[in-house]
Amino acid sequence: MEHPLMLKPTSAATVDTKTGGLKRFFRLLWKQRALVLMSVPFVLWLFLFRYVPLWGWIISFQDYQLGKGLWDQEWVGFKQFEALFNEPRFWRALRNTIVMSFINLVLGFTTAITLALLLNELRQIVFKRVVQTISYLPHFISWVVAAGIIQVTLAPDGIVNELLLRLGLIKDELLFLGIGEWFWGIYGVSIVWKDVGWNAIIYLAAIAMIDPSLYEAAEMDGANRFRKMWHVTLPGIRPVIVVLLILNIGYLLESGFEPQFLLGNGMNMRYSENIDIFVLKYGIQLFNFSLAVAAGMFRTVVSVILLVIANSIARRLNETRLY
Amino acid sequence: MVRRWLVAMTAVVMVFALVLAACSGKKESSSQPSASPSASTGGQSSSSDQSGSRDKVTFRMFVAVQGEKDVNTNETVIGKILEEQTGVNFRIEHLVGDLQTKIGTMVAGKDYPDVLVPDDGIETVIKAGGFIDLTPYIDNDKYPNIKKVYGPYKNLMTWDDGKIYIFPFSVVVNDYIGDPNINQGAFWIQRRVLEWANFPKIKTVDQYFQLIEDFINAHPNEDLIGFITLTDGWRFFATTNVPNHLAGYPNDGEVMVDMNTFEARIYAGTEWDKRWWQKLNELNAKGLFYKASFTDNYDQYIANLTSHKVLGFFDYGWQVGNATAVLNDAARADPSQDGYRYFPLPVVFDENIKDQYLDPIGYVANRGFGITVNAKDPERIIEFIDHLLKEETQILLNWGIEGETYIRDSNGRLTRTQEMIDKMDQKFLEEYGFTVFDWDWPHWGSNSTLSDGNAVIPGMQPEVFQLSLTDADKKFLSAYGVKSYAELFADPDPRPWFPAWGIPRDEERQLFEALKGDVQREYLPKLVLSKPEEFESIWNQYVSALNRLDIAGYEKWYTEKVQAVMAKAQGQ
Amino acid sequence: MAEAATVTRRKRRHRFRMSLGDQIFETCNYLALILLMVVTLYPFLNTLAVSFNDAQDSIRGGIYLWPRKWTLENYRFVFEEASILNATLISVLRTVIGTVLTVFFSAMVAYTISRPEYVLRKFVTIAFILTLYVNGGLIPNYLLIRELNLIGTFWVYILPGLIGAFNLIIIRSFIENLPDNILEASKIDGAGDYRTFFHIVLPLCTPVLATVSLFTGVWQWNSWFDVFLYNSSYEHLSTLQYELQKILSFSQASIQRVDFNAAAAQGGIGQVTPYAIRATMTIVASVPIIMVYPFLQKYFVQGMMIGGVKE
Repeated sequence: MEHPLMLKPTSAATVDTKTGGLKRFFRLLWKQRALVLMSVPFVLWLFLFRYVPLWGWIISFQDYQLGKGLWDQEWVGFKQFEALFNEPRFWRALRNTIVMSFINLVLGFTTAITLALLLNELRQIVFKRVVQTISYLPHFISWVVAAGIIQVTLAPDGIVNELLLRLGLIKDELLFLGIGEWFWGIYGVSIVWKDVGWNAIIYLAAIAMIDPSLYEAAEMDGANRFRKMWHVTLPGIRPVIVVLLILNIGYLLESGFEPQFLLGNGMNMRYSENIDIFVLKYGIQLFNFSLAVAAGMFRTVVSVILLVIANSIARRLNETRLY
Repeated sequence: MVRRWLVAMTAVVMVFALVLAACSGKKESSSQPSASPSASTGGQSSSSDQSGSRDKVTFRMFVAVQGEKDVNTNETVIGKILEEQTGVNFRIEHLVGDLQTKIGTMVAGKDYPDVLVPDDGIETVIKAGGFIDLTPYIDNDKYPNIKKVYGPYKNLMTWDDGKIYIFPFSVVVNDYIGDPNINQGAFWIQRRVLEWANFPKIKTVDQYFQLIEDFINAHPNEDLIGFITLTDGWRFFATTNVPNHLAGYPNDGEVMVDMNTFEARIYAGTEWDKRWWQKLNELNAKGLFYKASFTDNYDQYIANLTSHKVLGFFDYGWQVGNATAVLNDAARADPSQDGYRYFPLPVVFDENIKDQYLDPIGYVANRGFGITVNAKDPERIIEFIDHLLKEETQILLNWGIEGETYIRDSNGRLTRTQEMIDKMDQKFLEEYGFTVFDWDWPHWGSNSTLSDGNAVIPGMQPEVFQLSLTDADKKFLSAYGVKSYAELFADPDPRPWFPAWGIPRDEERQLFEALKGDVQREYLPKLVLSKPEEFESIWNQYVSALNRLDIAGYEKWYTEKVQAVMAKAQGQ
Repeated sequence: MAEAATVTRRKRRHRFRMSLGDQIFETCNYLALILLMVVTLYPFLNTLAVSFNDAQDSIRGGIYLWPRKWTLENYRFVFEEASILNATLISVLRTVIGTVLTVFFSAMVAYTISRPEYVLRKFVTIAFILTLYVNGGLIPNYLLIRELNLIGTFWVYILPGLIGAFNLIIIRSFIENLPDNILEASKIDGAGDYRTFFHIVLPLCTPVLATVSLFTGVWQWNSWFDVFLYNSSYEHLSTLQYELQKILSFSQASIQRVDFNAAAAQGGIGQVTPYAIRATMTIVASVPIIMVYPFLQKYFVQGMMIGGVKE
């Protein structure tokens, strides 16, 4: 099996590259050429498809007119950013974005993990499979259809009002989507309903990869169901949870678009309008791509800062980190 | 060993794939010319008029509105005839997703088709220099039909830079003929309400709501809804436009234009506006207004209109076509259901106001058909358009083929037999080509007439309209002493700038409209749903929110535009 | 090894029957999951019912679990489109090719960045992670694809989304989570990186690879925006989702044309409505991909037999 491309294991390779200098670095690189070959072509791909288009950020400093060349555009400095930051509605949209992302994060994580744990406790394999398959069905229904169903459900003659009236909890029908303060709640429930089954899949996979011998060992120690859940299952999927958490903290300024847009209306606008909708209304729909790009850059900056913070916290806590 | 090779290969597969893709991409794109290669010969000369013998050519057309299935025009009956006559076929593609995205990338990459109907993207395409200048073709004796149809509109068609970029759709040729149906704005009321009250004459909004209230009081157990309004997304204008109509103005968009001074004024925040919202506020206090109007989506709104429970609403006829079709079909199958259909009324604020619901002879400047700079053979397209605008071709496109889809009676009037109408379902219209050639092409505007006085559009022809009436329809119309629904409404006064929403707006104006719309989205529900004693303070908040916008600037800009159109129109 | 696992499982079940707490938990668990099923099954059943209900009748609302006026008209309307067959083929192709390439390449890169000794590890990792949060915007992306001559090609469905950073990080965290001794043992056995990747990592990571396949497959299957953006004029490359969007689009348009149509006398202009078509296309588009799930499911419903692979 000896072959030049087949490296000897480099297990002691946490070599100090700094002191070793460039030469040493390249020697190491050559030694690890298998790994290089397996990753570097894709980094090149990455630069081409993901980083090259970043030239587009330039247009956030311009008053971009479609059809003119990039360098023929009018330069406006920070005008687009000022337009954003001086608009009180933008800050409101930012607040709504963050709140809804946060709801998404907290609710999304807890419900998906809980579902995965509950499914894992089922010993009836058929039932388990059926629940799993059905619970992820709403993911395949587009938001337009889903929002339609939500609206019918919450309508004055919808089932929710009907139920509350029958139970005597309310006297008059409530206009659920007309009460701004409730929008976040409705949003939270909607996204959980739509994606909890889908989001649980990744945790189920993580649970599936836990070494069964750990359970056996726990059983030997006389651990009951809850102790095993707490001491084996949860720790087993913790790295995945942490990594996903960090990634999603970076997404704090992305709370999605469709549910807010479709369920939003004039009455709940103060709570439903997020950055995406703001940018759509005041950027894209007016063909003002510069504003849209400026908002995108703002997001990127915030995201990267959040990511770095989250990652360093994870490092302090000695958790799995992203990089 | 094998595995290793596999890895080595996959690692470079990407590079290969890229190269491959690049190559095949080139091939593909060169085999996708805007005009097929066979066209190249017919390019330079426009001298030959025997178009039938010329090479066949296919042009690509993009229509930036949701529309028909994507077809080759020569796959339809009418399109086939046109191809035989001119040798020209069009491959039509319609917008599927978001307009800004599609037009944005099209302009950025200069990937224009041969001809483009840009809809909302018109300003963008023109600014980017995407269209060729049509000026040389408009008033040119070589194109007599273009000259006949568009010549009189030349001034209006001219853009600020002195060039002409599009063939607009709304030009009237020969005498004007009105639509006997109400496809535009009206206050609608359930027919059984009118019958119950013995066909009263309803002129003012107070009478209208009083009638609804009386009817509900007389039918307390039916769980009826007095009035409903549409607020979903862009359709919100069906709610905001109402005070304008009640004040006796046609749908000029955000503004009402004074008939004496020709000044454009925003009506949001005016006394007219206040009167209407206060009226709805009172209605709501009486429990007659449907609260969920402000949260329902369009589907729910349509469902309500077909639920038999809604007595009244304001909307534009074309926007509720879906609901009226269901109600009409039900009434045709079972005449006892007729009372649930809706009847249009020209309601205004006061007795002394003349209603102006019917559209005046209008000219929409910002919608049209343009030839792009990528077009391989613009002359050939122009020739085709000239052919389209011939009177015979217009008959073919709208009426079809004599004996097949229309007949000519002894008086020379065009009409259809019941049998013909019955066979014209959606599929037939598509395959015949009626739906393909209905709107997105340079054509005689829908209110035009042929040289012998027949309507160009069958729907406008009184004989066809009469054929469409049921016995119940006739009963209602005769109770009000009219022959068509349009006769219930006052004739429109001439307004050369109409519709003011058809005047292309610049970025600042568009921004203003977006902001104004959001203020209204937020405050109108509050105005209507609040307790009557709170109305005044919310009204003040609403007005001060509006006043934070540059209303004066908007009105000034619009006034100038309106007056410029007036000048152009009078200059002819 | 496998036998031992079954034995323990049986033992476990036996022991659980004893505890009252367990029984309460069991009951609550079943109840909660049944409730969840009801809530999540409803939208699908509702959509199914609307898709089989007469379109004109549906717009009156009030369709819940069962059609009021049965019809196959909506499906006929969708499948009547001659382009559907070819579009489905393209959808299947892009889903299969896209998923296989994405999963394989992602796993490969993920393996490299899971190796602590790899000198470029941090660089590669960060380069990928950053792409989650940076975006040049619509137009630069479009112009790039255009410059690469990818417009009008099948590869435009595959190449731009080849490796998602998200999938990459997930796979990496699973690899890192493998018991250390397995990878170490393989190294001591003298296996190189290729061998470790193919013989140890790939088989052991089946659950996560199944998951990522599902994510990618569903994403590929549902994509229509790239067709809209790049290939809308190339009908032979259209996908099922895009064709369905088109059908929806003209069902929407046909309503608003009432007045211009020749047959002004007619009542029901089109037999279909956007509402019915949306429901029908949801079913048409989602059923095939939903069917795939049970096949992937076995990879993450049952635990892995790590020992089994080691042998």
